[in-house]
Amino acid sequence: MSEPAPVAEGHTPLSLRVSDVHIDYEVFGDRRAGLRSRFADRNASGRSLVHAVRGVSFDVTEGESVGVMGSNGSGKSTLLAAIAGVLPVTSGEILVADEPKLMGVGGALIGSASGYRNIRLGCLAIGMSADEVDERIDDLVAFTELGDAIHRPLNTYSSGMRARVYFVVATALTPRILLIDEALAVGDRHFRRKSRERIAEIIGAAGTLLMVNHSLGELANYCERGIWLEQGEIRADGPMDDVVAAYSVDD
Amino acid sequence: MSTFDPAAGLRPTDATLSARAYLQALWRRRDFAVAMPAETIRSRHQNTFLGNVWHLGNPLLTVGVYLIVFGGLLGADRGIDNYLLWLTVGVFTYRLTSSSVLGGSTAITSNQGLMRALKFPRALLPISVVIGEILTFGFELAAIAVVAVATGQGLSSRLLALPFVLAVHTMLNLGGAFIAARLSDGFRDMQQIIPFLFRLLQFVSGVMYPIGRYADSDHAWLHRFVVWNPIVHILEMYRWVFMAAPVDVPAALLSIGTSAAVLVFGFRFFVAAEHRYGRP
Repeated sequence: MSEPAPVAEGHTPLSLRVSDVHIDYEVFGDRRAGLRSRFADRNASGRSLVHAVRGVSFDVTEGESVGVMGSNGSGKSTLLAAIAGVLPVTSGEILVADEPKLMGVGGALIGSASGYRNIRLGCLAIGMSADEVDERIDDLVAFTELGDAIHRPLNTYSSGMRARVYFVVATALTPRILLIDEALAVGDRHFRRKSRERIAEIIGAAGTLLMVNHSLGELANYCERGIWLEQGEIRADGPMDDVVAAYSVDD
Repeated sequence: MSTFDPAAGLRPTDATLSARAYLQALWRRRDFAVAMPAETIRSRHQNTFLGNVWHLGNPLLTVGVYLIVFGGLLGADRGIDNYLLWLTVGVFTYRLTSSSVLGGSTAITSNQGLMRALKFPRALLPISVVIGEILTFGFELAAIAVVAVATGQGLSSRLLALPFVLAVHTMLNLGGAFIAARLSDGFRDMQQIIPFLFRLLQFVSGVMYPIGRYADSDHAWLHRFVVWNPIVHILEMYRWVFMAAPVDVPAALLSIGTSAAVLVFGFRFFVAAEHRYGRP
């Protein structure tokens, strides 16, 4: 099961190739070494190395949707951030057909600004022109269905309300590769249905979805293929039902 | 069929952009570089009763403090005509440099969430900081104009040179912001050190008193420093604009060159570590 899934038959081009990716990063432990030992030996600085991803390889074709599962700390989010290009890999290579858009719950935009301004700034930051944003902002705001709350500061929002703001920014440009990290898990049923429709639209337009979620039901709703990641390594990769079955047995 | 390569056309997700492509990506996001600091400025006084009045009220009160301390209590004109205006110009223009560089030092470290959520050329963040400081400086320029008129100096057609002086000044500030951004991302302690550097630099840059007077042959190192310190001469240029103070032309030209060099070096220095910004 640890073999990469075979590339779909025919002439479907790849949108993503992850080959033998390792990701380590340094963290500061809660017990930092004293100043003296820090000067004496740089390695005694209280930092420790985390091997978050250890030799992961898989290919994803255009129009494919992949759900990534695994226990907390298995390296799922780290992998997604690396695919998005916001986290450097230690070794290996990640190739993409187009710039991936990452949508995560951790990514705060500007807390003190309103949801409306965050949508505006977010769209500008991903490279839309002010004219384009002016043209589309009413639609984007309407999609969130946040009503008057859209003019309240983002840090007064619940996580579900915030997810709506992130979602419209991440999908404003119909990305060819969309990466969703848990973000939809916090939405209510109504918004999940709406966002599912929008994601289906994106996949339909030769887009690719890579999704991390702890709800296996949610993953199966969105994705036809599953990847099970455990301690930074792929344990299973194949049709969603098979991988979910293997993952559930292990549980 | 055997010649079909499904991986054709893929590129590394974190491919390094050429300098040209990087600048183009920045230019495409120019609206963000103005909207982001404008947002910060808009919200700066939103919790106060007087609100937007403080944008101009703050610099005017600062001048008021100098008026009381130097005009009333000390009664010192320090051998300078219109010392209040001389000082006001110096303080606000120096503040533009120190806040730009200090703001640059937190541009990367305080926007980790934004960087993890969205991919964009990271130089956009220090640029936004510097643009924000220029917007703030606009209100201070208004305060300077108020002092110029109130002290009888008035305003002249030399004001036409202001955009040029501000452009030179901005090259220096932007370069400094880039350098500070990378240094404090790699070494957070810089954010504690930089304010002290600027407090020190203030005393040898001719902000409160004409430093040139002390930089004589007895203090060769100070003299050399004053000649090479672009801030001294940029302040002189501003004072020429507002009060026709004399400018040391060769030194001013040198400061233009130095500022451009700081910008070019700062940009390259910042971009060289582009991949490191925003990692956990």
